[in-house]
Amino acid sequence: MLTERERDRYKRQMMLFGDEGQELLKKAHIFIAGAGGLGSPVSVYLAVAGIGTLTIVDRDVVDQSNLNRQILHYDRDIGRKKTESAEEKLMAINPDITVRVIDTTIEEKNAGDLVGKADGIIDAMDNYPARYLLNNVAIRKKIPLFHGAICGFYGQATTIIPGQTACLACIFPKAPPKEVFPVIGVTPGLIGMVQATEVLKYLLKNGELLTNRLFIWDGKQAHAEEICMVRDPRCTACGSLYETQGNKR
Amino acid sequence: MKVRVRFFARFRELLGTDIIAEVAERTTLPDLIKHVAEKNTEGHNAIFDEYGQFREYVILMRNSRRIDTEDASKNIVADGDDIAVFPPVAGG
Repeated sequence: MLTERERDRYKRQMMLFGDEGQELLKKAHIFIAGAGGLGSPVSVYLAVAGIGTLTIVDRDVVDQSNLNRQILHYDRDIGRKKTESAEEKLMAINPDITVRVIDTTIEEKNAGDLVGKADGIIDAMDNYPARYLLNNVAIRKKIPLFHGAICGFYGQATTIIPGQTACLACIFPKAPPKEVFPVIGVTPGLIGMVQATEVLKYLLKNGELLTNRLFIWDGKQAHAEEICMVRDPRCTACGSLYETQGNKR
Repeated sequence: MKVRVRFFARFRELLGTDIIAEVAERTTLPDLIKHVAEKNTEGHNAIFDEYGQFREYVILMRNSRRIDTEDASKNIVADGDDIAVFPPVAGG
């Protein structure tokens, strides 16, 4: 049930989806893997939209070199745990939601427990090995995964619904080499907004999701492209899932 | 015979994009990309390894359909083909 205060806070967006939609957002629990360049804008906008529970996992402390893009963290936070900094800002932005933060590294042995019973997983990581872990958890638990990644002025995003769409390993079977990537804050800002919009649409059951499509953004050209993706029946991550569902190939 | 080659992200910075290439009949997909990429060694080496094989993370699309890089040499390009080549980005 929405409080009067919440009704007032969300008045302008409830014009889009009413009490019922806002209740869906309030009941939702979204897991955000990373409180960095993508995790910052995603968590801010999911918080202001009124997602009832956000769980944010990060293992790092705030470094000066993060501040050109990680807008959850301020100059005064340098040296502080990103999770602490994120919790403080998000609670100040919207005290009507629950923010849970976990200061740890996402690994194979803990990834499933960390995600718990979340309704969606935001991929705000900066490397593919961690992304594949999230992809595996998403498939195992049948929780949607909202992928985003960036480099410089370039970004990509896609939405994965396990059991229905191409998964991350279908789209990117091999990880690109790990590198110190150049980045300007506007790029994760933009890709994070695509991810957050997808989460809202998924929860509200409203609109066309970015499934089986890879959104590619070239900020230098101000050009967006989408490439159709199909499920790989030989996929090592999700292939078996489809077999157990009665060969829906 | 003319085909269109589009590079994305870092590949675009090194090789340009929206390239209309004039190619001979029976040109394979890897030969087409090598032909277009040979003008820039760094660009070529970003896409191909030292054995001239596609690097394993390269994504290849032909007329909006994904082509497995391992099977690329079985693909003979046709007049009017639209070929897209891009690297996944990893940062976050």
